[in-house]
Amino acid sequence: MIMKKIILPALFFIALFFGAWYALSKVDWIRIFRIEKIAASTEQKLGDYYWDYFSKIQHENKSTKIYAPVDSIVTRLCEANNIDRKTIKLHIVETEEINAFALPNGHLVVFTGLIKGCESDAELAGVLGHEMAHIQKGHVMKKLIKEVGLSALMSIASGKGGKAASETAKLLSSAAYDRKLEKEADLTSVEYMENAHINPEPFADFLFRLSKETKPGDNYLAWISTHPDSEERSKYILAAITNKSEKYTDIVSAATWQQLQDAVKELQ
Amino acid sequence: MNTAKTFAYVPGEHEAEKASNSYLMSMVALIAGLHLPIVNLVATLIFYLSNRKATYFVRWHCTQALLSQLSMLFVNSTGFWWTIRIIFTDEKVSNRYFAYILVALIFDIIEFIATIYAAIETRKGKHVSWIIFGPLTNIICRP
Repeated sequence: MIMKKIILPALFFIALFFGAWYALSKVDWIRIFRIEKIAASTEQKLGDYYWDYFSKIQHENKSTKIYAPVDSIVTRLCEANNIDRKTIKLHIVETEEINAFALPNGHLVVFTGLIKGCESDAELAGVLGHEMAHIQKGHVMKKLIKEVGLSALMSIASGKGGKAASETAKLLSSAAYDRKLEKEADLTSVEYMENAHINPEPFADFLFRLSKETKPGDNYLAWISTHPDSEERSKYILAAITNKSEKYTDIVSAATWQQLQDAVKELQ
Repeated sequence: MNTAKTFAYVPGEHEAEKASNSYLMSMVALIAGLHLPIVNLVATLIFYLSNRKATYFVRWHCTQALLSQLSMLFVNSTGFWWTIRIIFTDEKVSNRYFAYILVALIFDIIEFIATIYAAIETRKGKHVSWIIFGPLTNIICRP
């Protein structure tokens, strides 16, 4: 009786459920709902919105002396890691703050304070690689969805964000991603550097050095103070270097690096 | 899915109303709790517990409503947590995900219609026994 009235009908419905699921999985819903196009268009609108916001409150430096060496580092990392260079939109902003951050749609914002705080092109490459990893791994949109919510993001993308939009802009520039994503970005940066024959050790040195210099309330070291446990990070970065015996090459010449340093120092 | 059968006795007006309410409760909870599937179950469970000492007809229908909610809890919870994983983790939207949500939605709609039908019929004092859940309720709920 139990078999006939309960178990068999139950098995029939379970089979019906999984059968319908399997059959419907064969339909290309992603294409029907145009998911990828909608996601790409939303990210593009958000990226443009946020960059527009930052470019209004801060001055972008487009001088060749500063832009070209940083662009060389980004290009080298892109070429060695099969990243389309056109997808990374590099912006150099004049400010004393040691910071760099990624915005949606591949906008990579680098502060002149960060360039000044780096002692070598490899140190700068480590930070740029870290931010490029956030872009490539889709961390930027993930962070925004987590912090702001999907519906609020859609309204910002459609230009109805109001005050919430400027609040989230601050979130992108001054708050770290969660621990797991930060570690992933660090380790991906090491991978990018090794593929590009750039020594990742200076990246670890940079984190270690600045973590020692950070004092509570020190706003100039934003990239370090918003990324906790810099000492621990430098340790796992060193541990992640696989090709320790590899011959690394410079990205820009010593003279070009010096010119870049002189140019950013002249700004202040 | 619904099969009307005769009950052990003819329920009174008050019993019919209470039994019908158990389905209404699960229906309202279903509408309110679709985003958080556990809401459906908790609401129906509270109604079931508060009617533990009610008459056989009322208890029987509260039990059937609870069992049907329980079955959909697994289906809806899976869909809910899958969606959360897509939003907050590296999980990507896929054709499998859309297919699952669609099938879950179809099953939810079928259950919703069955619940409305059961609420109307029991309100008239008629006995409604669902496939699977009816015989299962007969085993759990004794006069």
